[in-house]
Amino acid sequence: MKKLPDVDITKEFTPEQLKETDKIIARFKGKPGGLIPVLEEVQGVLGFLPVSIQEIIAEGLGVPRAQVFGVVTFYSFFTMVPRGKHTCRVCLGTACYVRGGRAIAETLKRTLGINEGETTADRLFSLESVRCLGACGLGPVVVVDEQVHGRIKPGMVGEILSHYK
Amino acid sequence: MKVYRSHLMICGGTGCHASGSIAVKEALEKELEKQNLTEEIKIVETGCNGFCAMGPIMVVQPDGVMYVLIKPEDVEELVTEHLVKGRVLKRLIYKEPITKEEIPTMQEIPFFANQELRVLRNRGLIDPEKIDEYIARDGYLGMGKALTDMTPEEIVSEVKKSGLRGRGGAGFPTGTKWDFASRSQSDVKYVLCNADEGDPGAFMDRSVLEADPHAVIEGMVIAARAIGSHHGYIYCRAEYPLAISRMNIAIDQAREYGLLGKDILGTGFDFDLEIYQGAGAFVCGEETALMRSIEGHRGMPRPRPPFPASQGLWEKPTILNNVETFANIGQIILRGGDWYASIGTEGSKGTKVFALTGDVNNIGLVEVPMGTSIGTIIYDIGGGIQDGKKYKAAQLGGPSGGCIPAQHLNTPTDYEAIAKVGAIMGSGGLIVMDEESCMVDVARFFMDFCQDESCGKCVPCREGTKRMLEILTNITEGKGKDGDIELLEEMAANIKDASLCGLGQTAPNPVLSTIRYFRDEYEAHIYDKKCPSAVCSALFASPCQHMCPIEMDVPKYIALIKADRLDDAYKILLKTNPFPSVCGRVCNQACTSRCRRGQTDEPIAIAALKRYITDNGRRLVIKKVPHDRKEKIAVIGAGPAGLTAALDLTKRGYAVTVYEELPEAGGMLRYGIPAYRLPRETLKEEIDHIIAHGIDLKLNTRIGKDISFEQLKKDYDIVFMAVGAHKSYSLGVEGEDLKGVYGGVEFLRDVNLGKKVDIGKKVAVIGGGNSAVDAARTAVRLGASDVTIYYRRLREDMPAQEEEIDAALAEGVKLELFTAPGKLTGKSGRVEKMEVIRMKAGDFDSSGRKRPVPQEGGNFSVDMDTVIYAIGQQPDISFLPKDRGDIEVARGDTFKTTGRFKTRMKAEGFFAGGDALSGAAFVVTAIDAGHKAAGEIDDYIRTKNNEPAWQAPEMEKIDIPTDIDEDVIETPRFAKEHLKITDFVGNFEEVDKGLSKKNAKLEANRCLRCDLSDID
Amino acid sequence: MAKLTIEDLKKIKEKVHIDTALREGGARVKVTVHMGTCGIASGAREVLDALMNVIAEDGVSDVAVTTSGCMGLCSREPLVTVEVIGKEPIKYEYMNPNKMRQVFKRHIIKGEIQTPFVLAKGAEIVK
Repeated sequence: MKKLPDVDITKEFTPEQLKETDKIIARFKGKPGGLIPVLEEVQGVLGFLPVSIQEIIAEGLGVPRAQVFGVVTFYSFFTMVPRGKHTCRVCLGTACYVRGGRAIAETLKRTLGINEGETTADRLFSLESVRCLGACGLGPVVVVDEQVHGRIKPGMVGEILSHYK
Repeated sequence: MKVYRSHLMICGGTGCHASGSIAVKEALEKELEKQNLTEEIKIVETGCNGFCAMGPIMVVQPDGVMYVLIKPEDVEELVTEHLVKGRVLKRLIYKEPITKEEIPTMQEIPFFANQELRVLRNRGLIDPEKIDEYIARDGYLGMGKALTDMTPEEIVSEVKKSGLRGRGGAGFPTGTKWDFASRSQSDVKYVLCNADEGDPGAFMDRSVLEADPHAVIEGMVIAARAIGSHHGYIYCRAEYPLAISRMNIAIDQAREYGLLGKDILGTGFDFDLEIYQGAGAFVCGEETALMRSIEGHRGMPRPRPPFPASQGLWEKPTILNNVETFANIGQIILRGGDWYASIGTEGSKGTKVFALTGDVNNIGLVEVPMGTSIGTIIYDIGGGIQDGKKYKAAQLGGPSGGCIPAQHLNTPTDYEAIAKVGAIMGSGGLIVMDEESCMVDVARFFMDFCQDESCGKCVPCREGTKRMLEILTNITEGKGKDGDIELLEEMAANIKDASLCGLGQTAPNPVLSTIRYFRDEYEAHIYDKKCPSAVCSALFASPCQHMCPIEMDVPKYIALIKADRLDDAYKILLKTNPFPSVCGRVCNQACTSRCRRGQTDEPIAIAALKRYITDNGRRLVIKKVPHDRKEKIAVIGAGPAGLTAALDLTKRGYAVTVYEELPEAGGMLRYGIPAYRLPRETLKEEIDHIIAHGIDLKLNTRIGKDISFEQLKKDYDIVFMAVGAHKSYSLGVEGEDLKGVYGGVEFLRDVNLGKKVDIGKKVAVIGGGNSAVDAARTAVRLGASDVTIYYRRLREDMPAQEEEIDAALAEGVKLELFTAPGKLTGKSGRVEKMEVIRMKAGDFDSSGRKRPVPQEGGNFSVDMDTVIYAIGQQPDISFLPKDRGDIEVARGDTFKTTGRFKTRMKAEGFFAGGDALSGAAFVVTAIDAGHKAAGEIDDYIRTKNNEPAWQAPEMEKIDIPTDIDEDVIETPRFAKEHLKITDFVGNFEEVDKGLSKKNAKLEANRCLRCDLSDID
Repeated sequence: MAKLTIEDLKKIKEKVHIDTALREGGARVKVTVHMGTCGIASGAREVLDALMNVIAEDGVSDVAVTTSGCMGLCSREPLVTVEVIGKEPIKYEYMNPNKMRQVFKRHIIKGEIQTPFVLAKGAEIVK
């Protein structure tokens, strides 16, 4: 079987980050349905959820590792690989799609040199596609971190990314 | 003190700074220095003068002239003009806005006027982060009433009475759902709010949560009271951070006021709720999957029963309603179920919120009474389609729904009525698509979504959606096969039957619905390898070539214009089109409709460039082709279809005879289109060139009169009928047979035959197509002083080309819109008066346009010398014998083909094409029909003889320049040069003067060379 | 805060009649910046910032600034409502910081409605 990618957590994360992780786990321990909120918060602190972290969470909450892994891989919100400093999300919801979202996605891929779900080698950008951000009035839409850029044309992509370099 | 002759007061306010006033000031300083004006003119930076939107702003004193929106590159011109030459630079001067302009009220704006606000009643009025403002608008009063004055049974019964149905999409009656849950016995019950708005293109719930979060809380507390629950969750997708934050604030405020928590409003009732963030899975919108997700598992649905009302979250009785449903509850309780049910349709009460998006002018959130038609939402509220394009379809219900095509725009927003046309109400995403959307691509998009979001539990959904996606992707890439459509339909039925939850049961809907309404688009992809909307880019290089019915190689001949190689360009034209100088003048230009340059500014003037080649390049010298085949072919009709087929067949070695009833060849080109649009000598040259290949052309010969039909059948192996559509549809009004009343084609034919046509001074033309406009402009040239076109719809609905209408108006033709002809009366057999019926827009007809209906009391009558009706035309098939045998004729006297053939008929050896087959269409479609007929005739003969298929001879290789990076000067589309005429009478000189070399090359430079885009 | 009863709800409703509250607070003009996700994405936050800055620069104290959710017409965002108390509210469309500054200087301070930016006057009717 293919081995899952993992990291050495003591090198990847600071002691503070790991302490914060423990605190989150302790807060939800014993609470029914606590797994998903824990994963959400931990990912907020660490940026991603490598296998070793999933093991810590499984042990901390007393749920099977398989369940943690199952949940992490089921929901698109969770990631097991590190993300870039900036997350660039291109909307491919219907409204954006019919107004040219696909051309924007292609341009982003070319400009960054990565595919959806990947991170640039310098870990500056991660590229994701999302299914509708609810900003359909502005389609096509690209969101970098929390900033929404609306009514984008392919020619504007380079200029937008340059603000984050 | 130093005296300056002028002060430049440049605004230094924040606004002007932000728009670049500093750079302008620096440029000014430099320019003054350069022009040695620093001693005479002083720059002063002032405070904000309030015209921030026009910044940077500069006032020149003492003149008091205000310049706005100045850019650094304007400075040189500004200084030279104003300060040196003393002339005001007009293009930068501030123009006073028209202040008298009436400001419309909100009710005068159709977007707002046609809405009925219930769920959205607080939109824009309250601060969602201030609970007091919600309370001030009757907030929590419904909850107060429910908790103090009503029993749980009464609450349920009130909600039942309202007729409210679940707004998440399924439309299950809310009261009934609550009733079940209230009857379930359990100490713990849950109230869940579904705010996992995963349907792409829908954002109603987000907006409600953001703008009016307390309305949702109020609805949930009432629901809790009705079923006896004390705990609730709002399951909200993590993609909505603002909604979550506002909801959290609202929950805190409600708790503080005692509107959530223990002993609400002192009534002893306890209820509290929390937000649960979804982690991105579309399937979690399904109720059992959502509950599994809250429990901390993968969101996979489970079979029902048991229904959640008896066993839901953590096996306890649970109700799940969507955001919009809950937002309705407070008002229903406060104002009563009867109030709510007072609007809507029999089965669907109240209002529905739609997220209106896509290619529509007004994008936004729309709340309308149930029963409002889809067309009203798109056209009246949404303001119609962007950029004047045509409506194709609207997707309702997202990936689980279907599309509503033009012929169903009258469908009311009613759960059952929408289901009947193959869509679903869904949660309210309404995505409008214009003619540029490819429906196969849309179906592929939704299938991609569903296969991605399938949770994987049920094999038919997990594997079936994947296979369907593969087939659809193949079709869009030109790898579709015969039988694919049927296979898709079969798989769709299996997936629907064998999936556990809504996702799988509805995933095939978009495919089924697009097949139902746009099967022709699927077939075009599969059999013709064409994407009719030029979206599926694997099928073509440049959209212009793909859109052209005969696939003229546009980018290549444009490149050759740039290289000044017009003779080569001419060869490229003739490869696909024997009538290039005709098409350079009178083509309907489908090519420009998807021109990528048009996305930046305006499409390339393709037809004008084509004409430039034919005006300036040299035609090939033609040698007669030897007839090396024994089969004899007759073509009836020397129009573009007949001549194209004759030419192609001659080139393949057949002996072809063309029979033409009229004295000259050309068909509609000669006898329909007036000479001022298509000069006779140009047309004749083109036809002579075709005939010179060795075609036998017999003029003044009518089949059925000069030669019998039977004789023709005997003498020839093949008969191709391309007789055109030379008979006007009748008007169907009283007095039509009076003298002075003409059909449009008959009128134009008589004029073009050189007959004397006496039309008098006052002429009415009925109709809105190119023939109507041709007739009107011809009437002007025959000396009529008062020519009016009567058309029954809006100007934008007129099928005539826009520039033709403009030209007619410029020549003094008047336009009476929304009118239809009534009775015609006359004296001594000649028409004198026409009654005119005033029309208005009614509901939508099958073309998606508003149907014109008579307007009460608006009729009037006008004096007329001549009435020309050009409302459509049909073939004249009186040449056929009484017993037609296997020659099949459809309604409207057009011929019918057999099987998948484009021109072959059921009758052995008979083929048909052009207007005679399609009804009145365009030159280029007739040429296409000619090519297709020649191909099918040749195939037919060779198959019969057991010969191998025809191999096209090797073409001369023309090398095409690929330099696209040369130093091009970007220019806008050139303005056309027209003949300046003062007296039209008797003047049939060509109006359009064509392009000069300079303009043609500038225009050619605008081409983006899409054909090269795949090379780099 | 004390827990409310039904009576308290009604009292709040009367007290918070928005107009009245504003006047009691000494406001002459109420400006609402519509801030749903679509509004924010099209720049409503920058418009709000520009407004707050220009109010601070000019030291004006009788302008109440508030935010609200989506007005429904997402394609014309950012939208801003200016209501001079006692007059019909004016809705401005396609706002940006510069237009906001101009509306402040000309309309809010001098009372000149900036017609070219106006979408409509009045409010939506809720039946």
